[in-house]
Amino acid sequence: MSAGLLLNATICFAITISSFAFAWVLARSYPEHNDKSKPALWSLIALWSLVGLTYLPTTIRMIAAYMGDQRLDLMLYYVTAIPFSFVTVPLVFFILYVIIGDQKISGYISFLFVLFGATYLAFFYSSGVLGPVITPLSSLFTINSDIAINIYLIGLFVIPTAMIIGLLTLILLQRMPKRLRYRTALPLVAISFVFDFMLTDMITLDDAMQLAARIFVLIGTVQAFLAYFPPMTLQEKLGIKRYEYNLYEKEEDEEDTDLDNEDEEEADIIV
Amino acid sequence: MSEEIDVRLEQEVAEFYQSLGIHQGPGDIQYRLILKVLSKNEGKITEFSEIREYTDKFADKGSIGSKMKTVFQLEGLAEKVKRGGYIITDKGITASNFLKDTTNFYKKNKRIGEIIERMP
Repeated sequence: MSAGLLLNATICFAITISSFAFAWVLARSYPEHNDKSKPALWSLIALWSLVGLTYLPTTIRMIAAYMGDQRLDLMLYYVTAIPFSFVTVPLVFFILYVIIGDQKISGYISFLFVLFGATYLAFFYSSGVLGPVITPLSSLFTINSDIAINIYLIGLFVIPTAMIIGLLTLILLQRMPKRLRYRTALPLVAISFVFDFMLTDMITLDDAMQLAARIFVLIGTVQAFLAYFPPMTLQEKLGIKRYEYNLYEKEEDEEDTDLDNEDEEEADIIV
Repeated sequence: MSEEIDVRLEQEVAEFYQSLGIHQGPGDIQYRLILKVLSKNEGKITEFSEIREYTDKFADKGSIGSKMKTVFQLEGLAEKVKRGGYIITDKGITASNFLKDTTNFYKKNKRIGEIIERMP
């Protein structure tokens, strides 16, 4: 029973807590958003909740592996597959809604990804898995279905990743204020980070790679936090800090007098 | 070049440029419409009455006539070839192409603005 498994469990727990906390913070900020951004906000809340729901059973699974309980490990692996298969649904909805702005079309297309997820699960459960193989760092399973892996790679990985990259490129190619660029591009980078490394985590057969992928998922979650709530030092460094100011209101006469005085002063200097 | 002139879009674009503090050229609905009509009739004579079909909603005959004289004829964007008949010059076509770019900029800016608005 290795301490590496406990480290793995700790990382999974950190991901769980931070994603749930982020989803909660987003949900709490609901009244501050306008009607147009609310559907995208809900999809983000669903996305981060699903990330949390994927890593919560994974945390317990790592502890079960540490304790040597293979039956619980296997059972929780099956449970983990459910939220994981549907992570793409809110993600696809979010990207499509932000780009085209039509809730219905985005809803229909993301429903296709519900079907992808369900098909993946059907093949996954019917073929079963091989394992677990307990290593000093992790507990690994092998999916026993090539079709499930293909659906997973094409439907759940390639298409949504291409969508994120497309939206990111669209935003990065535009000239816009730094603050807006940061506010729109960083959440996408964070989502892409989390999403891609979650998929790596699920498919890899290398324990070190899995641990590294989980660390990157955690980094991605932190990035998402920074995107929405950047600390003051980061804002100052990136030049995205909103300058706090009050409007300067002065009587016109006073202003004219000031200008006259300035002219006089300048004249004095020239003389 | 027989493209339709979308008066409502031209008005929207002009208002957008006005909101940026640009009240002349791309921000002037009269200028936009006159140039659109002239470029639509490239190589042909544009009748003053045809220009007025589009501009009557926004300005009276006098101010359009004055704009033709003080901007289009003076700057060489159009030439008067008969009473109430104008023809667009090469310089006028350049101005018209610039106007198309301003419309594209407006559309692109609007699309990105909407995307940002939908981002939570």
